[in-house]
Amino acid sequence: MIKLIREGNSVERIINAWLNLVVSEQASFFIKSGIFLFVCGATLFFALGASYPAVHDTLHNVRHALAVVPCH
Amino acid sequence: MIRIISLASFTAVFLLVVPARADELNIYFKTTPNIERLRPYADPATMSLLVTDANGRPLTDGSVTIRLNAPRSGGFFSTDFPWVEGTRLQEMQLDLRRGRANWKYLFPIRGQYRLAVNVSTADGRKESKQFTFNVRENEKKWGTLAAFSTGLFFLGFIAGRVFTSAPKGIVIIVFALLAASGTRADNNSSENDAGAALEVGPARVGQPTLVHWRFKNHIDPAPSRVLLSLAIVHLEKAKTVFEVERIPVPGEFAMNFQFTDGAEYRLVAIGEEAGSTPIRSEKIISASALEPPTKAMIPAFAYFIGLIALGLIAGRWSKRRDTVKREE
Repeated sequence: MIKLIREGNSVERIINAWLNLVVSEQASFFIKSGIFLFVCGATLFFALGASYPAVHDTLHNVRHALAVVPCH
Repeated sequence: MIRIISLASFTAVFLLVVPARADELNIYFKTTPNIERLRPYADPATMSLLVTDANGRPLTDGSVTIRLNAPRSGGFFSTDFPWVEGTRLQEMQLDLRRGRANWKYLFPIRGQYRLAVNVSTADGRKESKQFTFNVRENEKKWGTLAAFSTGLFFLGFIAGRVFTSAPKGIVIIVFALLAASGTRADNNSSENDAGAALEVGPARVGQPTLVHWRFKNHIDPAPSRVLLSLAIVHLEKAKTVFEVERIPVPGEFAMNFQFTDGAEYRLVAIGEEAGSTPIRSEKIISASALEPPTKAMIPAFAYFIGLIALGLIAGRWSKRRDTVKREE
């Protein structure tokens, strides 16, 4: 396991060097988390808030089943 | 002690001497099933009004005007029908039969409803009363929300663990462009059968629609009493949202009724006149939907994203704790 972690760190270092990016692990976490939250938020909005008929009609019952998601 | 006794005696005499007001009317309201068991879009409730005189006898002749208002918005979360919140759901006048008026109604959302009742008697007496009652949300919906929330939290938890030690990877972000859909327009329409006409105004969520039924003979100088049965059925959910059975009407009936969901409804009216065959009118209408307002969406989506963020933090904390333990 220690070997794997070391390998993982090595890979990360190589990629960092290749991309010419040197960020701390903490900053890296926040960047990845920010992107992840954005993707999740966009997906949720598309699935539960979109008025596009194909999406809306498919997930209409899910919206109502959640009690707090507004629908028409 | 003497003062207490004298005060009690005075009160007793006052209660005995002061007569009940002759024009006093009592209005009682109940639902079947009980209000505690009512749930939105579950089964229609039978709403019953009873009007009695001061002696407790049901009123023999009179009518009630009913106005039902939806719960106001106010909580952090919107209901699933935000346009319905705080609006007039129903307004109609019913004749009392042995002091009673009954109708069926399917409540659309959770919250506190207000039912205003105005009674008018044939001899000119009037009485009004407002009833407020709370309809609780369906427990299944809270269960679904809890499961969905748990899922989002664990999604964030797993991501938090992965992001804490995983090598950099490529993140592909898919942007979804949203297209607004047009609302369906619905024009005034009426259904004329051989002897009756059923007219429904443009139905739109968030505002009452005029529903008007007219019997063939209503323009006669002396229209006879007709027994009307009227039912409104939500076709998609296959649920009766409103119903009155064999209520006496003077040849026509009108009410303001809000179609609370942007969907198709079937209206069926049956008019019965003494000595003639019942006349049935049927009509299918489509209620126009409105997109929910943005302010109603924000709390729900903030809650969902907040749960994922919490999961991320918990996942990171969990991963770091495991790493520290392993190193020890």
